Amino acid sequence: MIEMKPAVKLPTTGERRMVTGDYAAAWGAMVSRPQVVAAYPITPQTMIIEHLAEFLAAGKFDAEMMRVESEHSAMSAVIAAEATGVRAYTATSSQGLALMHEPLFVSPPMHLPIVMSVVNRTVASPLGIWVEHNDTMPQRDTGWMQIYVEDGQEALDMVLQGYKVAEQPLVELPMMIGMDAFLVSHTIESVDLISQEDADAFLPPYKPVHAYLDPQRPMVVGAAAPPEYIQEVRWETDLRMRRAAEFLEETDREFGRKFGRTYGGMIETYRLEDADVALMTLGTVTSTAREVVDRLRAQGERVGLIKLRSFRPFPAERLQDATAHLKAFGVYDRAVSYGVGGPSYIEARNALYDTTTMPILSFLAGLGGRDVTPQDVELMFKKTLAAAGRGRRASGVHWIGTRGVSP
Amino acid sequence: MAAQALAVAASHDGYSAIAFPFFGAERRGAPVLAFTRFGEERLRVRTQVYEPHFVVVLDESLVETVDVLAGLRPGGMVIVNTTRAPDRLVLSKKAKSATVDATTIALKHTKQAAVNTAMLGAFAKATGLITLEGVEAGIMEVFGRRLSKEIADRNVAAARAAYEATRLGEGDSGRVYAKATKWLPTAQELPPGLATPPMETPFGRVGVGSSPSNLTGGWRVNKPVLDGAECTNCLLCWFYCPDGSITRGEKIVEIHYEYCKGCGICAAVCAPKAIHMEREIEEEVKA
Ligand code: SF4
Ligand code: SF4
Repeated sequence: MIEMKPAVKLPTTGERRMVTGDYAAAWGAMVSRPQVVAAYPITPQTMIIEHLAEFLAAGKFDAEMMRVESEHSAMSAVIAAEATGVRAYTATSSQGLALMHEPLFVSPPMHLPIVMSVVNRTVASPLGIWVEHNDTMPQRDTGWMQIYVEDGQEALDMVLQGYKVAEQPLVELPMMIGMDAFLVSHTIESVDLISQEDADAFLPPYKPVHAYLDPQRPMVVGAAAPPEYIQEVRWETDLRMRRAAEFLEETDREFGRKFGRTYGGMIETYRLEDADVALMTLGTVTSTAREVVDRLRAQGERVGLIKLRSFRPFPAERLQDATAHLKAFGVYDRAVSYGVGGPSYIEARNALYDTTTMPILSFLAGLGGRDVTPQDVELMFKKTLAAAGRGRRASGVHWIGTRGVSP
Repeated sequence: MAAQALAVAASHDGYSAIAFPFFGAERRGAPVLAFTRFGEERLRVRTQVYEPHFVVVLDESLVETVDVLAGLRPGGMVIVNTTRAPDRLVLSKKAKSATVDATTIALKHTKQAAVNTAMLGAFAKATGLITLEGVEAGIMEVFGRRLSKEIADRNVAAARAAYEATRLGEGDSGRVYAKATKWLPTAQELPPGLATPPMETPFGRVGVGSSPSNLTGGWRVNKPVLDGAECTNCLLCWFYCPDGSITRGEKIVEIHYEYCKGCGICAAVCAPKAIHMEREIEEEVKA
């Protein structure tokens, strides 16, 4: 009655187990050997910190775990820890990230390469615990790098990659790694749990090169500054964000050489080479969209997919190259910038303004954690196909699966 | 956790597998949905499952309000925790059925009414797609690592017992469900900002004062029974009941079973022991 196929063998360097995305992220944090972890619990992030506490209790993990009274304090604590020259980790979600908003701005100009897993969850109101990217996307201009992952494996791997990129002396920017609530955080799947030895070989101990507190080498950090100084600080932070692009690409390649899997750097493309139209997705919808691409290809439609992994830095040049041959481009978002459209649609239009006049469509779906089904994704492709070759006027914002609103 | 353990079992048996829960109300005993996919070379679709091959119903009372067969694929099977024989199930359509009294098995082996591991044993038996060894591996991974070896062992015993006790047959059609059961307004119909005044909808009352129309007594496994002669009307139970299922009376209190979820707190706080908990078994339908 049912055709059952054995699993494909996936590259494994450590121990392969069935674990949740939160477990995978915690594992990634553990093998990255942060010396300080400060966090405050919030559904659906809580398990990340609980698992780290378990690892600590089991003697597998050696870090100072700080229990703090809020996310604002958690962020302040990891900033202070990084400022003493040690590696620090935290994790949060939704309202917790919103509460961190103020201290988020502190670490990028100060060259403090914190890594934080963020389980993407709806920000009230209405209150919801399910996935939406309206917690991380509004943090776009804080100076944090921002990555979106598709599954538990990537949630783990990106913590390791994240520190490696963030701690590059030419970058020294913090990174947040977005993982979809429940669809990654609570989903159990097969994950290669990288061994400590392999992780150590990939990620050496953190050596702060510039800003850190040391009684032997006193310095002022985080000082107030009059207008004579701040603009240069802004420019220098912007420069490091631009530089980070190259390191994201290179670090992913290096990771691939060591662990047998890569993610394509800042974007991954799927069946894009001979496509007429393509959709750009981020997060878990990408997995579903791969399946839809295969189905539509089987029906003769020339469609392809771009997985947006890095939202900051935004991969403008790579997108320009990847989309040069397309006749229309759809951009899926799980957050809305009210009155304009999806945040990554806005970014994509900006990035492609100089290189194309094809229509670029914004698709909003799955807000508040509503399921994005293969049919929803197919509709996005159909609309993009229908817009092909019609020029910029065919662009527009489409609310997919919204009751009372024609998509 | 059953969906997770099933995914681990499938993985143990050599399949790629993925499982995730969809949380509703965050309360113990509240109805939840969880999804498991396994048996494709590489699983990609990350959505809820709308057209399952198998539906596993952990709480039989749900079939009264939810058409559990709504999306079932032709030839699919429903596996229900019930004291009924599979041929005595009446659902929305005829379907292959398997039944097991997982609650009794769970109470016996684990001393708790958590039936998820027993239902895994039933799934293995009913479908033949997963081995009992796989189920054991699943339970060890999900329960053993998190709780303890001893708890995992008891759950393995429950799964084995359920495996043996599962009966196969075919359920009947005939149960009728309301077409739509949920109020799903359009963007235009929605009260602005979801600020909801008391409103009557075709699917019942919403907004202020709508809670009494949500009958939640079906979540219960054990029910509190009041001995009026012993009750001193001290009102401790009334005060402690987390669900407001107890009301005050002239001489004694009254328990409202339409809402009581069987947590047992009232029985625990009652000093003269006027309340005791009793296992509630759905009456067999006498056909
Ligand atoms: S706690 Fe016991 S004695 Fe007091 S009101 Fe409730 S049932 Fe009666
Ligand atoms: S068992 Fe007692 S305390 Fe618990 S919900 Fe029922 S009436 Fe309330």
